[in-house]
Amino acid sequence: MRAAERLGERTERLGGWAGRCGGRVERLALPLGVALTVAALTLVFYYPVGSVLIEAVVRGGRLTATPLLDVLANPFYTGVAHHLFADLWGVPAGTIEWVRAGFRPVEFGLFGFTTYQALLSTLASVALGLPGAYLLARYEFRGRRLVRSLTILPFVLPSIMVAVGFLAMFGRNGTLNDLLGTVGFGPVDALFTLEIVVLAHAFYNAPLVVRLVAAAWEGVDARRVETARALGASPARAVRDVVLPRVLPALLTAALLAFVFTFMSFPIVLALGGLRLATVEVWLFARVRDLELAEAATLGAIETALSVALIYLYLRYEAHQADAGTGGTALARRPLLAGWRTLRDPLRMGLLAYAALALVVFVGPLSSLLVESVTGPGGKLTAAYYEFLFAQQSATAVGTTKPLPAIVNSLVFGVGTLLLAVPMGIVVSVVATRGGPGSRAAETVLSASLAVSGIVVGLGLLRTLVFGTRILGRRIVLTGAVVIVLAHAVAAYPFVSRNLTPALGRLDPRFTDAARSLGASPLRALIDVELPLVAPAVLAGAAFAFAISIGEFDSTVLLAEGVSSYTMPVALERYIGNRSLGPSLGPATAMGTVLLLVTAVSFVAIDRLGGRWEP
Amino acid sequence: MGAVTRARDGSAGDRTAAGVELAGVGVSFDGVRALEDLSIAVAAGEFFTLVGPSGCGKTTALRTVAGFETPDAGRVRIGDTDVTGTPPEQRGVGIVFQHYALFEHMTARENVAYGLRFADPPGGVDRADRVDELLALVDMAGLGERDPAALSGGQKQRIALARALAPGPDVLLLDEPLSALDARLRERLRVRVGEIQRALGITTIYVTHDQAEALAISDRVAVMCDGRIEQVDTPERVYREPASRFVAEFVGDNNVFEARVTATEPPTASVAGVDAALPLPRGTSVGAGEPVTLCVRPEAIRFEGGETTLDATVASAEFLGDAYRLHCDWHGHTLLAKTDARRTPGETVQLGVDAADVRVL
Repeated sequence: MRAAERLGERTERLGGWAGRCGGRVERLALPLGVALTVAALTLVFYYPVGSVLIEAVVRGGRLTATPLLDVLANPFYTGVAHHLFADLWGVPAGTIEWVRAGFRPVEFGLFGFTTYQALLSTLASVALGLPGAYLLARYEFRGRRLVRSLTILPFVLPSIMVAVGFLAMFGRNGTLNDLLGTVGFGPVDALFTLEIVVLAHAFYNAPLVVRLVAAAWEGVDARRVETARALGASPARAVRDVVLPRVLPALLTAALLAFVFTFMSFPIVLALGGLRLATVEVWLFARVRDLELAEAATLGAIETALSVALIYLYLRYEAHQADAGTGGTALARRPLLAGWRTLRDPLRMGLLAYAALALVVFVGPLSSLLVESVTGPGGKLTAAYYEFLFAQQSATAVGTTKPLPAIVNSLVFGVGTLLLAVPMGIVVSVVATRGGPGSRAAETVLSASLAVSGIVVGLGLLRTLVFGTRILGRRIVLTGAVVIVLAHAVAAYPFVSRNLTPALGRLDPRFTDAARSLGASPLRALIDVELPLVAPAVLAGAAFAFAISIGEFDSTVLLAEGVSSYTMPVALERYIGNRSLGPSLGPATAMGTVLLLVTAVSFVAIDRLGGRWEP
Repeated sequence: MGAVTRARDGSAGDRTAAGVELAGVGVSFDGVRALEDLSIAVAAGEFFTLVGPSGCGKTTALRTVAGFETPDAGRVRIGDTDVTGTPPEQRGVGIVFQHYALFEHMTARENVAYGLRFADPPGGVDRADRVDELLALVDMAGLGERDPAALSGGQKQRIALARALAPGPDVLLLDEPLSALDARLRERLRVRVGEIQRALGITTIYVTHDQAEALAISDRVAVMCDGRIEQVDTPERVYREPASRFVAEFVGDNNVFEARVTATEPPTASVAGVDAALPLPRGTSVGAGEPVTLCVRPEAIRFEGGETTLDATVASAEFLGDAYRLHCDWHGHTLLAKTDARRTPGETVQLGVDAADVRVL
């Protein structure tokens, strides 16, 4: 109480002082914004994540490596590599014996499997994305711009919803089997296989490959290709010498990012693979669910170390890529459809076949979601699943997952996230574009939250703010809803910044100079001139923040254990397990459709306001 | 036009124009010296131009006056006020950039009105009236509701000028304002800018790399090179009496020679490797045997008569419209000359030079 009074006094003094010198407060706005942003990040990111990391190496107040070694030396986690930690000196002899025995297949445990599936997923993403990048960069066709802007969608589609889409498409009673059945083929059971997990990961990450590679391809200066040709290079040679040096680094960047994302992927693996195909992230979640918090912390620490190392690699590599300048003329696009000639051109036919495949992979799951939500077991139209949702809403049993609170919570959390993440993102972008040591720090701060999985953040938040913590002598306990909004803001603000920083960086500094010379303070120049000039980027960032919040599952599922603060994705996951309507996904697809609609409506609404997606 | 008044912070009526002074200013970027001990005094109401090749520091000097660069040595004064540490928004300067920097999310009119958010219009007039007044001044009345995107380059620059002038700044800073425009428009607008400046009597610092523009528009010109001032003078004197070899070669066409003073009477200048010598103007105080740098303007070289004749061969001829510019070979040196008559390459010519037209640098 005394502390609160002191705080009140201080605020009062601050207010009076602000009144006396308004101009100086304007000057302090940026430092104040930075301080608040850093404080928020510390409270809901660095402190909770730090507590997880400390838990992994501290037992009974003493620093110890035992918990880490326990995990690393456990064959379940590291497979054959556990010998490295359990019996290092026996490794050479063991290796020789293994060679003598004729290279018996070896297992690398949970970590090995996670890496393996991430590698496969990355390869699949590149295979699915690369032709798309080529198609978008080099061919002209109706709807090209639409397709290009749609490649941003997977970033914001709730992954648990996409998982349900895949279930609806590839499940035993899914649309795929329905189609196969009509042409006389037996049912295919693709669920809980590695293939389906990899395909779902490709659904998410191939568009990333498309975006990054297409952008690099379009950045190739046609005049350089023409120069190479004029100097005597054949078309293929010109591609090798001029195009590839720009495209390959982008491809590698995209692949590295895809690997990081699929290594840490959670809802897709949980819903499509289950515990049988568990990755580190899913197992971590299971440990938290079983309240094995100490083991979970150790596992989380190891996973975080790995992902931080990967993100560090990615950033180093990205920084190395010289900004070769985007000036010049882009290569002219060829028409994709060229009358009858199209049929004789194997490249064009191949691209059309690819387009058909891409249509199945990307549109199939989402349309299956919609179709399955209104189709009964016999293939007849039914409203039973939506009726089920209504029934749930009016059910009185304790613990029922009602749909309406999920929708309301999601929207409220989304707006709350927007209100926090947009100012935070603006502050970080402003610091990043001012140059100097601050911009490097801003980059690091941004990347940090990219490198830590949502489960680890959720676990940290559980251990600290939700279970209660002491800060400056006061015990602080935050409710699930507040913590969820904070966690969403921390997950979302990098998207605001990533949209805004390049736009601000490209802005001619003379706009600001002109405003300053006309009498505007730096803050006024920011509000009057800089932000309005990059309004599309701000709005795109805001749309991202909202969509990220709507779709966030990883930390929300841990923080929303109660009945009051669950969101649509969490409700969706609960409905997947609900078999009260027989062996059908019905309720989940119905709920997924609602989530898809809310996502789409909010997306379109902000898109209309913002005008364009490309910053 | 006399109705347009200048003053900051709403003080009524005209204020005496303020001069600008840079005293011993040094500016560095990451350890690289951009300005070295630069001292300039611009008189109140003067049209002062900084001219020099790109990278000479002219824009940095202008930005230092505006407050966008902070000098690590020296002082900046506007009027009687030392503004060295003052932020740009409190300096009372108006600035116009090469690429206009119009706020694209505002109409032309809103752009002009922007500075009036922070200061009352001078002369106690209504804000809207002030904006109308400025739009009329730059011949843009009736186009105020346009978006900047719907304006031509010349129109954009007019709006940028009106925006800079609207709050009634003490000093107008123009950073290559015409360089993005095509040649014809550039000349038209340059005349208009001069008229407006004289009508307002506002102290103006103009930055350009175009020496012809600098000579055409300015009361005084400062020629800059490598962060230093080479010469400050009226356009006529900078052209006729260049203070250094750099100025002689940068401003207009010139023939510059390194030579040695002969012991003859009157003394002449012998250029290395050449039989003939150039005359020296009367009163040259360089002693016999001393090295000397000379220059002769192409238009001073005649094709008939002249105190000294030089035998040369025409190497090439360029038609400029009002004259021909000849590149003549004179014992391995190139001599530029201007003539009304066409000459064919290979033709031998006798070029006449008067001692009075030779300048010793």
